[in-house]
Amino acid sequence: MKPMLRKLEYRLFSLFFLMGLLLPLGLLVMLSLGRRWIFPELFPQEWTLTHWGSLLRGSSGLRSGLLLSLGISLVVAALATGFGFWAARQVARSRRRGLALWAAYAPYVLSPVIYAVLLQVFFLRLGLSGHVAGVVLGQLLLTFPFAVIFFQSFWGRQTLDYEQAARTLGASGGQIARRVLLPLARPLLVLCFFQCFLISWFEFGLTNLIGLGQVKTLPIRVFQYVQEANVHYAALASLLLIGPPLVLLLLNRRFLRGGLLAVHPPEEQI
Amino acid sequence: MTTFAHRSWWRNSAWLGYAALTLLPLLAGLGYALLYSLGLVGALAEGFTPAHWTAVLGSTRFWANLGFSLFIAVASMGMALGLALWWTLRYRRLFRRGVMQIALYVPLIFPAIVAGLVCFQLWSNGGLLARLAFQLGWIQAPQEFPGLVHHTWGLGILLTHALLAAPFFTLLFLGIWPQQRLDELMQTAATLGASRRQQVRRIALPVLLREARPTLLLYGLFVAGSYEIPLLIGAQHPQMVSVYTVTKLNRFDLSDRPEAFVIAFCFTVLVLGLLRLGVTSRKAKST
Amino acid sequence: MRVLLLLMVLCLFGCRESANPEDAKLLEQPWEVIEEQARGSTVQMMMWQGDPYINAYMNEYVKPALRERYGIELSLSSGQGSQIVNLIMAEQEAGRRTGSLDIGWINGETFYQLRQLDALYGPFTETLPNGRYINWESPFIAMDFQQPVNGMEAPWGNVQLAFIYDSLRAPEPPQSFAELPGYIRRHPGTFTIPNEFTGMTLLKSWMIALSNQPALFEGEFDQKVYAQYSGQLWDTLQALKPYLWKEGKSFPETLSGLHQMFANGEVDFTFSNNDSEVDNKVALGFFPETARAYVPKPGTIRNSHFLGIFKKGTNKAGALLVINFLLSPEAQWKKMDPRVWGDGTVLALDELPADWRARFAQLPGRRYAPDREAIRQRALMEPAPEYMIRLYDDFRTQILVAQ
Repeated sequence: MKPMLRKLEYRLFSLFFLMGLLLPLGLLVMLSLGRRWIFPELFPQEWTLTHWGSLLRGSSGLRSGLLLSLGISLVVAALATGFGFWAARQVARSRRRGLALWAAYAPYVLSPVIYAVLLQVFFLRLGLSGHVAGVVLGQLLLTFPFAVIFFQSFWGRQTLDYEQAARTLGASGGQIARRVLLPLARPLLVLCFFQCFLISWFEFGLTNLIGLGQVKTLPIRVFQYVQEANVHYAALASLLLIGPPLVLLLLNRRFLRGGLLAVHPPEEQI
Repeated sequence: MTTFAHRSWWRNSAWLGYAALTLLPLLAGLGYALLYSLGLVGALAEGFTPAHWTAVLGSTRFWANLGFSLFIAVASMGMALGLALWWTLRYRRLFRRGVMQIALYVPLIFPAIVAGLVCFQLWSNGGLLARLAFQLGWIQAPQEFPGLVHHTWGLGILLTHALLAAPFFTLLFLGIWPQQRLDELMQTAATLGASRRQQVRRIALPVLLREARPTLLLYGLFVAGSYEIPLLIGAQHPQMVSVYTVTKLNRFDLSDRPEAFVIAFCFTVLVLGLLRLGVTSRKAKST
Repeated sequence: MRVLLLLMVLCLFGCRESANPEDAKLLEQPWEVIEEQARGSTVQMMMWQGDPYINAYMNEYVKPALRERYGIELSLSSGQGSQIVNLIMAEQEAGRRTGSLDIGWINGETFYQLRQLDALYGPFTETLPNGRYINWESPFIAMDFQQPVNGMEAPWGNVQLAFIYDSLRAPEPPQSFAELPGYIRRHPGTFTIPNEFTGMTLLKSWMIALSNQPALFEGEFDQKVYAQYSGQLWDTLQALKPYLWKEGKSFPETLSGLHQMFANGEVDFTFSNNDSEVDNKVALGFFPETARAYVPKPGTIRNSHFLGIFKKGTNKAGALLVINFLLSPEAQWKKMDPRVWGDGTVLALDELPADWRARFAQLPGRRYAPDREAIRQRALMEPAPEYMIRLYDDFRTQILVAQ
């Protein structure tokens, strides 16, 4: 009797859990396909493909937003991962590792929008506000520290030993990098790239402040549609935002291990 | 064959570059905020004055909003933790197989701004749940629905953060479980006569919480500084600190600008302090 | 790392542009020269983007027209008056000689503050070929919150605050501000005030109604007048708080949010600074067909909204060309169509060429909004900007935060 009850409980739990997950997704899909969703109707009174069609026509600005977001996030992820990988090595071997890591944690834990408030004057001064380059730099200030923290585990004792061994065998610096370190780090590099991509892809507060609303990434668009109470386009833009992470999830759920899980606890390092 | 001087130049400039992407902007920003809030820079500057600091620190609004941010962080973390522990302790086998294995990752694909939007469309007085309640005859008008959006205690914000964090914490615990050999430990305890309850309370809980502690701290700080969700579904009073700061920065009353910098400065120092505290107190304990 | 460092250093010293010294002379140039200079450029405009129909007018009509006719790329960014002021201020503080905005959609209190910051370029309206059609005769157009416009901003639309209600749920709306408190008490939870521009315009109208002497609010800001009547207003509102939506513990932050609540039937009233907005919202199925608009006694504020050019903007010629287009009979006519935006024109119709006069006359009438001429009898002038700025602040401290 007991195992059967248990099984039933498991079933029910799974059912509710999955329903809880599908509800938000279903709601967004429904809103993106509907028109005239007036209280107390559960479903929109009209169904339409116009909102999605605007993507193909490029009329709503969503398509350009999508491309802009993709561009920014890819560049930011590549820069953060690349710089972060080598910076992490410096940090890991530094005599002042504690301080250097602290320097990375500080901007990483701070609320991006508060960080942007503190930084705004400098971005304005440099003429970077309202420009894509400014947004890229701003997001780099969020993702680079993350990448440094992320790669700390890689530049541990073991990697050092491999590097040492290769050097003893007569490999040059370049050879060590190409033949030993990069292959060794490849899975982590990929992981870090996607993590940084997502941080940038989801970023709103800093992007809005530094970009002055002129750099219209997808999250900015979602917010604008919400502001004009344009629920249907807001839902559509939201689905576009969810798309790439969903693809990543289906490809390999490890990509999604929310940034934090990949990061080692700070006290192990400082 | 690099010379020593060249190498040291390279190393120094590398460190400078590192600092330029991490600590320098933060310190520069803090410095500017401090000078601005003390009336030393900016278009409104009229020489040193502590007026903006006393205005902010003396206003109940500031303390209420700061307290509110911390309350949201602590309460939503507590709620998420409760859910995650329940799920881990009771259903961990379920989450190791099939669809459920992927299910825990799904909330991670929701950016905060979309989570806020979904929350609004679900829980507002005209949202999907209110409509459902109406169709079922539970309410006669949207005003009667206990909406969570723009709620004075921030229930909508709290719940959204908790539901986003709970699956994430569950993932964390599911990772710690085998890593800390909890099955074996609990097995051993059982053979020594520990009850199921004792195994959970004396072994599983302490181990999980100890291992997850730094991540929980970081997550709590993220929630305390979160912006999008309170922006979309928060009330005007109390406000979470990040929303409060940005609105202060965008008011017609330009004399509010220095106050915005006071708030940003205080919050930054608080967050860094909490981070430091979480780290050092742990260190002291472990030695 | 080194590359990055170099980049940053380069940026620090390299990114300074200087303002164009030609800007001052530009206004004296013949229009053809300005047009030639503007061709193919990008113009940055910051505007309130809280209404889908206004956005559609800009995105689907203005932008393509400018692109096709002048090769101008109009780039819109979202920001209300206070955000514009703070951005301009931040740019000044950062020591920028050039700014990131060319045009701003402004009025009254924004105009006032931008003038204080010396951030506006002009006077320019005389330079615009379409400037000659502007109806400067109307005090509602020539004056912005009691300040003479003097060509430092160009009027864009002329509107009056209206109450929008659902005639099905609220068949007998209060006909005057005097009846409003009693009505709210009898219908608790159905009324609220948006904590933004429109809501403040509502409060201003209410305050003037309480005084019973609109003339008191003419001219410069009068602290005594403000203190007396805003005091009365806060007392009235404080007493009404328990009967407002959510017992007055929360107020909608955006007008679109209030519109949405109205559409859902959560409240029975919403407001619009545009007296004919109700028509386009009904036409597009957002509001129920039972929605109506009216102006309660003794009247509501009628004002104009304006377009300003920023002194530190980098594309003055483009900005002039864009504003000239927005003031063209065609763009104004299109904008006035209730199916598009329904914004009142600022042009003097009898000055227009005959064919345009005819087209304006043929615009579809309003179905749900009050008659344009009738509500003019109930139009109040905007008081000085300080009233608005003080109301914003005091509404927060007296009503929002006070428990």
